[in-house]
Amino acid sequence: MRSTLAAGLLIAASLSTAAAAGEIGRIKSVAGAAQVVRGAAVTPAAPGQLLQASDVLRTGPDGRLGITFVDNSRFAVGPNSSIALSTFEFDDTTHAGRSLTTVNRGSLAIVSGQIAHENKDTMRVRTPTSVLAARGTRFVVVVP
Amino acid sequence: MTRRIGLALCLALGACATAKVGLLPGEGGAPAGAVAVFDPASGAERGQLNQPDTETSLGGGPVRPRPLTGAYDALLAAMPAPAQVFTLYFIEGTTQLSPESVPTLDALRHAITSTSDVQITGHTDTTGDAATNDRLSLDRATQVREVLVADGLPVSNARVTGRGSRELRVQTGPGVSEPANRRVEVIVR
Repeated sequence: MRSTLAAGLLIAASLSTAAAAGEIGRIKSVAGAAQVVRGAAVTPAAPGQLLQASDVLRTGPDGRLGITFVDNSRFAVGPNSSIALSTFEFDDTTHAGRSLTTVNRGSLAIVSGQIAHENKDTMRVRTPTSVLAARGTRFVVVVP
Repeated sequence: MTRRIGLALCLALGACATAKVGLLPGEGGAPAGAVAVFDPASGAERGQLNQPDTETSLGGGPVRPRPLTGAYDALLAAMPAPAQVFTLYFIEGTTQLSPESVPTLDALRHAITSTSDVQITGHTDTTGDAATNDRLSLDRATQVREVLVADGLPVSNARVTGRGSRELRVQTGPGVSEPANRRVEVIVR
């Protein structure tokens, strides 16, 4: 079980840069300074903006973001944050999928969605010292 | 050694907070569920939070739940509302909306905004063959999109799919006319 999990984490890490292009969610609300980093391109965050796997969300001292994902999960991003949407795979038909979100810095509130609901420990959040798995729920992660 | 320097630094700077995770009560009275914490290198589970309004530091040790500290009202104020689901019903064998679904269509029109993510999925009952039902379910979903587009709503890029009779709302055998299964489900995020 443990080695399976470790292998899963490795796969998640290795796929994070090769995730398929395509809409995984969108920005619903923006307050203060916030950007979306996609590869070398940095754009100011705007309501309605589409997000892809591997995008990085950044907020300034007064920045906040509200985000919805295609599996019905939702994020609220607080100020001074840097959060990468490292992996996001979701099958509309079967509701199977997996996601890995990396909180490098800042605060993130999460309401989990169909990915977490369908299969155990498939919605993950990585911090500099830990990996978290949502087991169906609403939680906050703070990385100072 | 490194740890000691780190401690001295954080004492000097007054910024000794470590990363943490907190479990909130479920939304709208839903159960809180749980959050599990794993070691990133070994994958070993360090424990989990399974009581609402508790937190644990993510410093590397085992999970030690304690009462939640800090205020998250401002953070949670940025959380988008849950997805809304609208179900529209159709007259047998047609893409014609049933009269009782007209109010639902009106509610749907009012729910869609310029930032909405809209997903339209058509379904049929089990009368008719699979190919016919696949086409009819897609036609129903497409029809709903066209009605919304004609109203000037920003759904021309909405995802439209037809599921035929694969996803019955009311389980029936083959060849059964069931109004509850002749439908289009619209998710508005």
